[in-house]
Amino acid sequence: MGQSQEKIGIKEYLAIMILMVGTKLTDDTPAILFDNLRNAGWMGPLINGFIALILTYLLMRVVLSYENKNLIEVITHLFGKYLGYVVLFILWIISFGALTVDTAIYTDIIGTMYFTNTPTIVSYGVLMMVCAYGAKRGLEQIGSVAWAVFPYLQFILFVILVLTLTQGEYAFLTPILGPGGWEVVKESSFRLSIYFDILYLFLLVPFVKSKKDFKKGTWIAFIVIVVQLTITMIGYLVLFDYVSVEQLNYPFHELIRFIQIGIFGRVESFFFPFWLIASFVRFAAYLYLSAMLFGWLFKIEEFEYVIPTFATLIVLVGLIPESPTFAIFQLREAILKFSTPVFFMLPILLWMMAKLKGDLKHADNTNKK
Amino acid sequence: MIGKFLRKAYKSVPPYSEESSKEDIKQKEQDIGKKLQKNTQTFQSIYSYPDNQDVKIRELHIGGLNKKATVIFISTITDTNIIEQHIIRPLIENSAESKSIKDIVSVQTVATESQIKKILSKINSGNAALLIDGEEQAQIFNVSSFEGRGVEKSQNESLVKGPKEAFNEMVFTNISLIRKKIKNENLVVESTTASVRSKNEVYMVYVKDLANDKLVDNVRNRIKSLNTDVLQNLGLLEQRIEERPRSVFPTILYTERPDRAASFAEDGYIVLLMDNSPDALILPATFWSFYHSSEDHYLRFLYGNFTRMLRIAAMFITLFSSAIYISIVTFHAEMIPPDLLLAIAASREKVPFPAAIEIIIMEIAFELIREAGLRVPSPIGPTIGIVGALILGQAAVQANIVSPIVVIVVALGGLSSFAIADISMNFAIRLCRFLLVLSAAFFGIYGMAALFTIGLFYLVSIKSFGVPYLSPLSPKYISSGDTVFRRLLRNEFYRPGYLKPKDMKKQ
Repeated sequence: MGQSQEKIGIKEYLAIMILMVGTKLTDDTPAILFDNLRNAGWMGPLINGFIALILTYLLMRVVLSYENKNLIEVITHLFGKYLGYVVLFILWIISFGALTVDTAIYTDIIGTMYFTNTPTIVSYGVLMMVCAYGAKRGLEQIGSVAWAVFPYLQFILFVILVLTLTQGEYAFLTPILGPGGWEVVKESSFRLSIYFDILYLFLLVPFVKSKKDFKKGTWIAFIVIVVQLTITMIGYLVLFDYVSVEQLNYPFHELIRFIQIGIFGRVESFFFPFWLIASFVRFAAYLYLSAMLFGWLFKIEEFEYVIPTFATLIVLVGLIPESPTFAIFQLREAILKFSTPVFFMLPILLWMMAKLKGDLKHADNTNKK
Repeated sequence: MIGKFLRKAYKSVPPYSEESSKEDIKQKEQDIGKKLQKNTQTFQSIYSYPDNQDVKIRELHIGGLNKKATVIFISTITDTNIIEQHIIRPLIENSAESKSIKDIVSVQTVATESQIKKILSKINSGNAALLIDGEEQAQIFNVSSFEGRGVEKSQNESLVKGPKEAFNEMVFTNISLIRKKIKNENLVVESTTASVRSKNEVYMVYVKDLANDKLVDNVRNRIKSLNTDVLQNLGLLEQRIEERPRSVFPTILYTERPDRAASFAEDGYIVLLMDNSPDALILPATFWSFYHSSEDHYLRFLYGNFTRMLRIAAMFITLFSSAIYISIVTFHAEMIPPDLLLAIAASREKVPFPAAIEIIIMEIAFELIREAGLRVPSPIGPTIGIVGALILGQAAVQANIVSPIVVIVVALGGLSSFAIADISMNFAIRLCRFLLVLSAAFFGIYGMAALFTIGLFYLVSIKSFGVPYLSPLSPKYISSGDTVFRRLLRNEFYRPGYLKPKDMKKQ
């Protein structure tokens, strides 16, 4: 904000978005979806995706109708100074909470699945150190790294999916609707906030080269994410069946333990570094956005300098829950449930306010000219 | 407080009184006078004549004009034959009364100077000065002839297909080698004096209607703003003008091949040349320019890309082989198929060290052999090879200091490192390799991935003269897409966009 930055291109933006949202398929998000949807869990991302699509469309319509304004400025413009501040503060609380809980989960994954003897604080510390280093470099660098690693990560995911889908049992998909049609729609829309991060990406509007790039990038990334989430969920289902997949906290990591490549029976350590790189980039972006919001809330021009402090704070807070596998699982579900109505209401409210103020019409007219 | 005191004590320098050279400087700022005798004396005292063995001051009488004159030159850096045949003899034998000096002597270039300082600098760079009684200007003749070797085959960047000649230590030969490849009036060779005392010249070579003006200005200013007494060659210049002297990664390319320098110049890069440097600096440089070699483009499309593939594989093997071994043996043993695991375990059975120590011992041994092999006088070179291979490899295994598989892993990595031709990048990769070994020893694959990500973040944030290090991969620029692999020649349409060249299209 205070610093003059070069803008990121569509490729970098797309990579950031897919890594930020798409990496969720490797943590306990699938487990949360499978919990109530049972074997229709894979429909969750699709149904959610449909609702999120409408919300994203509304957001896009509102935010992009202003010249060079990001979500922060649009919210303060539409809700007024005080109410806008409150809304943004809630958004920041959610982002910081989600960041803490998510990083705690990823540390737990590293601790329970790979490095069982390493003290949590050490692996947490390393994770946050790398993310803080990346975030402090700035958005442009995060974007560049995201794009540099993106093709390889996608290729690896593709390999994993091919291996999974060829080794699975497709009868596990039936009954298609699981607990029943209405139940599926209801339960999955409660967990709409798996797409919550898209909201934060609208903070980046002025930093993307053009509005067209932002629009195109968001839609492409959105489709990729929904497809990826759905296919991976199907993968979990056909490999494990829904009963056991409900028991698994981190199905992705169980899955890469399960699949085999030729003579190599245990290949998870081969896929592990790729997952790590994706997570580092994801949290670096997250940390950056959270710091940016914080910087605006408390009028800190050079908000990059709060990032190391943030990272340290997150480690300290994230270490508090004991037996993280269960405690954090609960916490995360709580955050998901809390943020869902926010994510659902905010775009609609914004759109209504903009409509009432007549800004949308105005924007249309100027666009036509 | 103690720290402050210590720092003060450490930093204080014993007083040293320098001798003032104000008088000398003042003298050199003056112009020469009309009296020959006085002028000659001035130069004699400046050059400590006749103690200074190779400074020659020849007094003579110009026939015809009937004037006394003095020729001053340094015999070791001038062509004395030319001075004798084309300057001294015509002057003495002249009989015409009204001929100007220019018409009497028969050397290529004649100039005049009046300030003592300037005359001195001309003499110091291989000119002869002629002082004539009654004239306030000295005639300067270019008769320089420095000793040096001829154009030879390139030693460090050797290739099979393509031109073999390399730069040598004489800058004019080097410029001629570049001009031979770019026969265009827009090729500019600009010279700038970079040092105060030794007056070393830096030559900036660029194509005027391609290179970006801002970039040219930037480089020119950076060279001009150097305030150093001596700057002997390009290796030293590189360290003075780069942006991050402490960084692991190089940001200026160093090549000894004129064909490479020429092709960079034709893409809008700037080439720096200097006397005493058998090479050229090319800037700005990206990561890819260190990774490429000129042969990639001389070979046919498939063959060129095959070598590129080998090179990137070599790069990754160098970086990761040892680190992966450590992390698999220490943290992720389940990853290896049981048979292989048993074989490794059996070979490690008698070795008392943990895998990390083993690897580090071997790595250091390998680096030592490498460094020693480089410095060793050539007659005993082969001995070192045998000693290195036999004693450090075979005997270390037999003495149970390292396991055989470690020798394979380290040797593979070491061997692969030779595929990275550029010496700076080679060092960078080798240093990173040690960092990766350490991180693998502490955190296994987790540590490696963490360090790799940090490295990536660092790489994308480096800039060389305003050009992002990983461009055109990211951030994206219009270019020929010459990164990990190259395209067909007829598909390489554009010059690199990150240089902002004046003409984008190549074909």
